[in-house]
Amino acid sequence: MRDVMVIGAGLSGLVAAIRLRQAGLSVALVHKGRGGLQLGQGTVDVLGYRPQRVARPLDELDEFLADQHRASDIPHPYAHTGADAIREGVRYLAELVGEDYLVGDAEVNVALPTAVGALRPTAYYPPSMADGVISLDPAKPGALTAGSAVVVVGIREFKDFTPELIAGNLALNDLPGGGRLEARADWVSFPARDGEVDSTGLNIARALDDPARRGALVDQLKALVRPGETIALPAVLGHEDPAAFADLRAQVGSPMFEIPVPPPGVPGMRLNDRLTRIAKEARVEVFLGSNVLGADSAGGVLQAGVVGTTGHDTHLKARAFLLAAGGFESGTLELDSYQKVSETILGLPLAIPAGELIHDTWAGQQPLFSVGVATNDDMVVVDPATNKPVYSNLYAAGGVLAGAQRWDEKSGEGIAVASAVRAADAIISNLAGGQR
Amino acid sequence: MSDLLDTNETPAKELGPRPGLAPGQTVWELLAAVSPRIKDNPNTYEAQQLNRVSLDQCVKCTICETMCPVAKVTPLFSGPKFVGPQAERFRNGESVDHTLDYCSSCGICTLNCPQDVKIAEINSMARAVMKKDHMPLRDRLITQTELEGRLLTPFAPVANWALKQKPIRVAVEKVVGVHRDAPMPVAQSQSIKGWLKHRKGPAPRRPGQPDRGPVVFFTGCAGTYFEVETSKKTIEVLEHLGFEVLVPKQGCCGLAEQSNGLFDSARKRVVKLCEQLNAAGKELTVISSSGSCAGMIKHEAHEIMGVDDPAVRSVGTRMRETSEFLLDLFDEGELPTDFKSLEMKIPYHAPCQVKSQGMGMPAIRLMELVPGIRVIESEENCCGIAGTYGLKKEKYDVAQAVGRNLFEKVKEHNEGLAVCDTETCRWQIRNSTGVSTVHPVHVIHAAYGLSDVFSPEV
Ligand SMILES: Cc1cc2nc3c(=O)[nH]c(=O)nc-3n(C[C@H](O)[C@H](O)[C@H](O)COP(=O)(O)OP(=O)(O)OC[C@H]3O[C@@H](n4cnc5c(N)ncnc54)[C@H](O)[C@@H]3O)c2cc1C
Ligand code: SF4
Ligand code: SF4
Ligand code: SF4
Repeated sequence: MRDVMVIGAGLSGLVAAIRLRQAGLSVALVHKGRGGLQLGQGTVDVLGYRPQRVARPLDELDEFLADQHRASDIPHPYAHTGADAIREGVRYLAELVGEDYLVGDAEVNVALPTAVGALRPTAYYPPSMADGVISLDPAKPGALTAGSAVVVVGIREFKDFTPELIAGNLALNDLPGGGRLEARADWVSFPARDGEVDSTGLNIARALDDPARRGALVDQLKALVRPGETIALPAVLGHEDPAAFADLRAQVGSPMFEIPVPPPGVPGMRLNDRLTRIAKEARVEVFLGSNVLGADSAGGVLQAGVVGTTGHDTHLKARAFLLAAGGFESGTLELDSYQKVSETILGLPLAIPAGELIHDTWAGQQPLFSVGVATNDDMVVVDPATNKPVYSNLYAAGGVLAGAQRWDEKSGEGIAVASAVRAADAIISNLAGGQR
Repeated sequence: MSDLLDTNETPAKELGPRPGLAPGQTVWELLAAVSPRIKDNPNTYEAQQLNRVSLDQCVKCTICETMCPVAKVTPLFSGPKFVGPQAERFRNGESVDHTLDYCSSCGICTLNCPQDVKIAEINSMARAVMKKDHMPLRDRLITQTELEGRLLTPFAPVANWALKQKPIRVAVEKVVGVHRDAPMPVAQSQSIKGWLKHRKGPAPRRPGQPDRGPVVFFTGCAGTYFEVETSKKTIEVLEHLGFEVLVPKQGCCGLAEQSNGLFDSARKRVVKLCEQLNAAGKELTVISSSGSCAGMIKHEAHEIMGVDDPAVRSVGTRMRETSEFLLDLFDEGELPTDFKSLEMKIPYHAPCQVKSQGMGMPAIRLMELVPGIRVIESEENCCGIAGTYGLKKEKYDVAQAVGRNLFEKVKEHNEGLAVCDTETCRWQIRNSTGVSTVHPVHVIHAAYGLSDVFSPEV
């Protein structure tokens, strides 16, 4: 019997599993594939919009939650975790992966240029994006300020990054503190592998893991950059070697930053690989490619998760269970053609907003996305009708939680880590108390 | 428009007999007669449907692309998403993407796909179609694992000598297409059958040793003829724990033929084997120290080749990989842990065939029950050999590139021993690192004091 079975290896599942394991518990982490972390931008969004752009997410949290409470009958996950768990969650994640992977401050957002030349708020970011930081805090100027010159550099062999579009839009943005950037576009050529004319970002990143390959890129960048300019490149500057970016930047000798690109995006993958490795080295037992099909329960207590191992189902016994299996995007929540929403793994009752779930307009929030499981402040899953725990030892974290509009709010990662830490700490204290 | 959609308005009988359907003919038979995709298709309809329907679940997230060990090292292969769910839409008999042949069928893509797309399975089936009428002689030969074992065992010293001679290997490469440097099994003078026949029987029962009743041991071809030591040690560990080990007469599971697209003969073999294993007892747990053969029986026969046979289903649900079985005992509090201490770092590679059984990596936890052992996981997706893939002369370089990081890690961290659960992967790791590479049961055998961990040298 394990102490805890965690279902899902996205950001929330990985962080919770590591924290539980570091507290000395035995943990089985079962997942049917990689999570959204790998597809993300390698940044940690805590709260980006409410709906106006947020500069100090934790200071503005109470107001955000009050507005949210007026607009919806479903409590936001942050109403359960509170600001302290957000602070601790983000701090814990950043400390786990280290400064080669994440830098920033949960108290203050910064804005980062995107692959269409917009500015996107976030709290933590990889050090390779630091030279692109635009401050949202008037007291602290960022790396880029009014009048800063940026050269956005495309790689001919890489199709998902168009410097003219990015530079054009970047130059049109009014900066939060007033003024604009100056931006121009340029190109280099870097075939990731011999004769390859259409390379994925990952292949380019893998090529740049090899120090011997970097020179070719460095020479072209040095030739095109003008004095005082900051270079912006697609986020493909090294995959496994965390020093690749710093080395490239030092060799070129100009400020330089990465802009995240569509999947396969490398920054998300770097974080995912790093966390997976930490989990395995801590001896979290990782069951990859294993669907959780259901669970055995008795007397309001979950006893075993049913894992679809090949040949025979495995009934994996544990004392506590954490559902961290994501939302609609990972198939844990499903909408059928009768507009009925269900939770597909354990068949849990869901918190569903009243009224129409999908507006037939692209603008604005879709109520459907706030559907999810309801919890109490310990992240124990409750029936929204009664507020009573569904099972006394079932917790939930991350994208499966009800009440958030993660994409609109830019709150997905913050919710994932805050709820993971909150749930893990509740499990740790409950398992220590008496049952052992 | 509306009455076109409203099918309820048309009573079924007015539809009349279906056009073209001969009396007694099923729709499937009719389709098979007219559709190039279904006609002469080596795949069964069921397996095709099972895997094909999954392609619609693909959200193009590219996670499979990032994990594929072959696409990582060569531009010759266009990658799992393209060759799998994308190309499959356009396959109607003919193959639309010939780089498909570079897929090693390691299954890493399927494992990492968060949307349950059966990418590797789709590829395996498409390859069977693509190679149907021009299967190289080599692919037919190297899949005859049982025959090879039977032929080589009586001549073990000669065979081993011959396989080490460069001129002979060059000739083999030219004529058969097996790369001159590819790993080869070491032929043994005695098969497991010979050992069972000549040994004195299980060690006498020790005082206090429980009687845990019978289990069936499935040796697999490699375990019968080449990795005989693994089979012996599994039998001895199980007997040490108090099991009675039954080893019925048994043939090959057909995995090598399956992975080369020779489905018809592979299907016959796996069914026959399961009938043989069933003959030893229909309720007993079947244990295998061959991770890949266990995977074939547990799921690949069904998922890739559409085998729906009661004997295979029965054995498949009762089959346990050795480490899985021992760890289950441990979790039930029934595994004696009076291990002697073995102070060593052991690099361990979980082969794809074990990863894809959805049971995690039981070997790591099992070996770390032994005091002093610290396992270093390879963290690599594949060793490159993928059954018979890395033997082929046109794939050899790709396979070596796939395994490179793994080989370096094994060389860097080993203290005389590396561990991996499947035979061909062990040959690959041994061949490319020079490090003695063994099944996890080898370590457990030593920890119970039944042998020295370094003996015999393999
Ligand atoms: C493409 C993309 C871009 C995003 N960009 C942003 C952004 O810019 N800002 C932001 O705030 N948020 C963003 N998000 C959302 C953010 O990534 C998620 O909110 C957050 O990572 C949620 O993580 P999670 O751990 O809850 O779930 P997920 O990352 O979805 O992981 C779910 C895990 O559960 C597993 N699983 C599911 N079902 C089962 C089952 N039956 N059995 C076993 N395992 C199962 C999956 O395999 C997976 O491992 C993005 C998400 C995606 C997909
Ligand atoms: S991982 Fe699955 S869903 Fe994603 S691109 Fe590959 S097949 Fe499609
Ligand atoms: S089976 Fe292996 S080699 Fe083939 S596409 Fe999938 S990951 Fe790549
Ligand atoms: S390690 Fe694998 S992936 Fe590689 S061939 Fe061996 S069993 Fe498969």
